[in-house]
Amino acid sequence: MDMNEHNDIENALRAYGDRIRFRRRLAAIHADMNLDDVREEVRMYRSDATQSGQIRMLWRTYRTTLAVAASVAVITTFGSIFLYRAYQQSHKQQEQQYSQLSKEIQAVKSSQRKLINDFTGRSRSLSVNPAQIAGSGFLLTPDGYFVTNNHIVRDADSVYVQSAKGEVYKARIVHTDQVHDLAILQLCDDTAFRTMPPVPYSFESHTSDLGERVFTLGYPREEIVYGEGYLSSGTGFRGDSTAYQVAIGVNPGNSGGPLLDEKGNVIGIISGKQTTSEGVSFAVKTSYLLETINSIPADSLKGLPLRLSRKNTLVRLPRKQQIKRMQEYVYQVKVFKH
Amino acid sequence: MKESRQPALTDDELLTGLANGSDHALTQLYRRYFPMVLHLVTTNSGTDDDAKDIYQEALVVLYEKVRSGSLELHCQLKTYLYSVCRRLWLKQLTQQSRYMVRDVDAAATDQQAVNQVDDDLTDHEERNRQFDLMADSLDRLGEPCRTLLDDFYIQHLSMQDITEKFGYTNADNAKTQKYKCLMRLKRLFFSEYKV
Repeated sequence: MDMNEHNDIENALRAYGDRIRFRRRLAAIHADMNLDDVREEVRMYRSDATQSGQIRMLWRTYRTTLAVAASVAVITTFGSIFLYRAYQQSHKQQEQQYSQLSKEIQAVKSSQRKLINDFTGRSRSLSVNPAQIAGSGFLLTPDGYFVTNNHIVRDADSVYVQSAKGEVYKARIVHTDQVHDLAILQLCDDTAFRTMPPVPYSFESHTSDLGERVFTLGYPREEIVYGEGYLSSGTGFRGDSTAYQVAIGVNPGNSGGPLLDEKGNVIGIISGKQTTSEGVSFAVKTSYLLETINSIPADSLKGLPLRLSRKNTLVRLPRKQQIKRMQEYVYQVKVFKH
Repeated sequence: MKESRQPALTDDELLTGLANGSDHALTQLYRRYFPMVLHLVTTNSGTDDDAKDIYQEALVVLYEKVRSGSLELHCQLKTYLYSVCRRLWLKQLTQQSRYMVRDVDAAATDQQAVNQVDDDLTDHEERNRQFDLMADSLDRLGEPCRTLLDDFYIQHLSMQDITEKFGYTNADNAKTQKYKCLMRLKRLFFSEYKV
């Protein structure tokens, strides 16, 4: 035991001495070393590290800025997309706001009345084979020139017009004016059509004033329907200067019907309405009807000149009489497509 | 730069040289990794002197492990030294109540190295305690015993030199004197150490 402890202390002492000598050697080496060289090396270490460190530092410094920038970018992107979509949709809606008042007739709708009034047998074929599109129209001249909307007769295979009494005539499309949505037809093509008494109304080419009391006749259904209102604006849908805005209750089928002032002058042709607001209808101004008539090529008229009546026999009549006289000249237009 | 003209030694060669007490190997080892430790310590609020102390302490740990043949190196020598220094510096910072050490080298995350370093440093601290006690005991030993033991064990003077230095009649006489001193040191040492 004693010997053991003796060895222990000697070993410990040796180890202790060893360490002290080692430390002296280290101190000597350290003293020999050129510290500037070492610092130079450390600087290299540092610049190595700072490359990644720099990025980290930049990240730390600009983290908030980056976050803000990123969110702004995201918001802007989605915002623009949203706005663009909204704009597109509103555009589409506006497009839909204008509805052309031609009526697409359902096959189910068969008219017994037509069968009853069927003298010529032609009506039967109509009721068996109902029209696909219907609208209104009225005579320009007693000899069969007739006006309606272009959108009604567009792409038509055959066009028939039916009077309030139920008489049906085949019509020929003389001329169409897409810009003003007008179509000139001719009924005298049909041997069954006989020249009528002169049309009772005249055509007012001057622009009418706001507040003018107006009325219309049309065929929103199989019966002729009367509607009245007033001129609410000198321009049409989205500032269209070729049309009036009219506060009048019209429905699909009224398209092509005449718009008359109190004296019985035709001041326009009903062409459409705004679906988003009530009582906002539009009518093409008569002056453009005249323009359209003047632009018909002579060939299309086949030697039968189109002369509008200048005499208005409705002026002093009360409204009920006016309507009675009018309605014989307002026809329902039926269009067949293949 | 002397080292650059000489072939760089591998880790193994360095360790062998260290065990054999080769000055050349030690110098090269010291030169090679000191910048790394200096960088570590100075980037973590230490001075050049702190770095020197830490590095030398780490080398002592390495040296004593190598000398006792108990060094089991599972990683690069560089990683081992880095880990030791990191631990030592962390400990010192903790004592100064600063906790974070920002690593300058990914090596510190090497878990195996960290575990090994933990063990080695526990041993090292035990030895430090022992050596502190030894120094203390030697101080309390008084003259001429302190100088005699110091000369023999620490300065590695031969028995003959000591005989002449202390004016003993012969080497045997000196040896007896040294033995007596050793016994006294032992008593002083173990009276404290075993408590």
